Amino acid sequence: MPRKRTDQPAPVATRASLLEFADAVSVTDAPEPAPVAPPLHLVTFVLDREEFGIPIGRVREVLRVGDITRVPEAPLHIRGVTSVRGRILPVVELRTRLGLPGLGEPGMRARIIVVEAHGRVLGLLVDAVNQVVNVPADAVLAPPGEVLSAQTDYVTGIGRLDSRLIILLDLDRALLLAEAA
Amino acid sequence: MTGDNAFAELIHEYVGECLPLAEQAADGFLDVERRWNGGLQVDDVAPRLKGLVHTVKGNSAMMGQSAAAEVAHAIEDLFATLLSDASQREPATLDLLLDGANLLIELVRNAASGKTDSARVASWAGAVRALLAGQSAPAAMATGTSSRRAAAEGAIDTVRVDFRRLDALQEIVGEAIIAQSRLRDIQRRMVAHLGFTEETAELDASINAVEKTTQKLEDAVMATRLVPLSGVFGRFARLVRDAAQSTGKQVRLDTVGGDTRLDKAIVDRLGEPLVHLITNAVVHGVEREDVRRSRGKSVEAVIRLSAASVSDGVILTISDDGGGLDADRIAERARALGLEVNSSATDAIYPLIFVPGLSTVEAVSSLAGRGVGLDVVASSLHAMGGSITVESAPGRGTRFILRVPVTLAVVRTLLFEVSDERYAIPLAHVVETVRVEDGDIHEINHRGVVLWRGELLPVVDGAALVGAGAVGGDAARKYTVVVHAGTRRRGVLVDRLLGHRSVVAKGLDPALGRTRLVSGTTIMGDGRVTCILDAQRLVDPLPAHAATALS
Repeated sequence: MPRKRTDQPAPVATRASLLEFADAVSVTDAPEPAPVAPPLHLVTFVLDREEFGIPIGRVREVLRVGDITRVPEAPLHIRGVTSVRGRILPVVELRTRLGLPGLGEPGMRARIIVVEAHGRVLGLLVDAVNQVVNVPADAVLAPPGEVLSAQTDYVTGIGRLDSRLIILLDLDRALLLAEAA
Repeated sequence: MTGDNAFAELIHEYVGECLPLAEQAADGFLDVERRWNGGLQVDDVAPRLKGLVHTVKGNSAMMGQSAAAEVAHAIEDLFATLLSDASQREPATLDLLLDGANLLIELVRNAASGKTDSARVASWAGAVRALLAGQSAPAAMATGTSSRRAAAEGAIDTVRVDFRRLDALQEIVGEAIIAQSRLRDIQRRMVAHLGFTEETAELDASINAVEKTTQKLEDAVMATRLVPLSGVFGRFARLVRDAAQSTGKQVRLDTVGGDTRLDKAIVDRLGEPLVHLITNAVVHGVEREDVRRSRGKSVEAVIRLSAASVSDGVILTISDDGGGLDADRIAERARALGLEVNSSATDAIYPLIFVPGLSTVEAVSSLAGRGVGLDVVASSLHAMGGSITVESAPGRGTRFILRVPVTLAVVRTLLFEVSDERYAIPLAHVVETVRVEDGDIHEINHRGVVLWRGELLPVVDGAALVGAGAVGGDAARKYTVVVHAGTRRRGVLVDRLLGHRSVVAKGLDPALGRTRLVSGTTIMGDGRVTCILDAQRLVDPLPAHAATALS
């Protein structure tokens, strides 16, 4: 229950403090300035020639690419499975999923980003992981309508950071669609 | 005969219902003992415990299990006394209570066989009576010690262990096997580099010894995990009765082989598919009474659930004496779903009922039409490394045949390589491996065959089967692995054989979709993941793409 201002014990009622109090009341009564949304903490990575970002809270860990075993009859966007400390992790070929040309042999900079989506742990194969960046909320642009289609509704926005454009990815959507595919 | 079956069914049901209650009661009394010893109250659990024992008593009396009913009754009295009179809560008396709870479990469990240790019942009941009659302390002490001795003797026979501990133990055995296969790997590499030396031979011998010990350990752990199917079977009598009632049919369930033992993890996973198949059999399999009458069948339909052990697992069958599958309708529905139906042979059409979305039922009933179909049953069986097939005779009935492994965890496999990819096949499905020379493979009607032990064995290119890029081409295929499953055999052409290996099978992540060819995965000694192929799928009629790839 929000506490009412009148409930606040009034300080010793000097003239100055009363004035201050009145000021405080009148300020909070005025229309609130738009709240400054916290910046987005993103892990950014590269797919093909684009930079993508996902919230850092979704990332469990980042792995070097070890042996990935192809699984016959698995969906196209599944690169295969790999073992992580005795557990088996499915690896999603994120490029294929997002309609980009598939990654051939993973290069030296390739990584697997381990995320949790839909209650499952999955690895995302990416060309490279760049860094963790903070993008101010007001630097996020809505994705331009004409580049959006039913297949790209996993893009939630474009983050601007100096001259870089970071495509913000909705993991749940991207991976949910991946399962349906 | 019918009467006996009905009685056996009821007993099954009684055991299925009361055994868990008795076990819960025993656990509850243990908790009560701990609390009393710690000077704590038991008010919050006492009513539930009373209820459990009372239910077991009522059901036992109803089923004519007088010993169990008598013991339950005495437990009630004893517990009531202990609740009301704290001074009675002596170790000997608490022992007597726990002993009674364990005795009750034994009696319920053995209800089907009719074996009752009447001497033990009598001595326990006598001790309780003596105690309740307020006999002198020495006498109570005497019965106390004798009952404690009985409890100690009983403890030699059975120990209650949380199943999760067995799971943990199984995990550890699995890790030991992985570590051991890593050792074996290293030893082979050493031989490859250094050739055979005294040291590699010694290493080989000691790894052999470790392997033997691990094998024994694995077998021993597996044996502790086996439980009879009767626990699951017991649930179905009521299921059939309820389903029959709500559809206005008369159906009898016969069960055979309830004493067949399987890993508890498999038994648990079998419950759901079996419920589905049995409900289906009642609701859709058997005909309504009037139809049965007009077909000259007995009004009472019979569903038969049986289990039997075979070399590589357990076969369960669920058969009904209903109308059978309608091949024309199945084909029609399959075409409506856009599937190609080329053959009119029922062998080719019946398996289509396992295709997602294909159901031959017009009305969605509250019982069977829960939106899950036979495809879900099939995939849950595949997930545990099993398989399901169907047979049907029009007008005479339908039979589902389920094959399940005895245990989930450790599978003995043959490892092979094709197109630089490594795979494992459960050894239980491998008949033998044969070296193929140039010209051994003949082509008949665009299908490869080899002459094997005087018969023409159809073969398939392993690379095409797993959809691997052709590395080295046909010439690289040096071996035929002869695989059998069900009644079929097929040769799979592979590049290299890598030997036998016990592997710890892990399930497939759902993210991998419906990969019917792969039944599981395993982590090998070198840390790489290897797919375990489903033998049933290897011998199934070829999908079009694999067949054309060969031609």
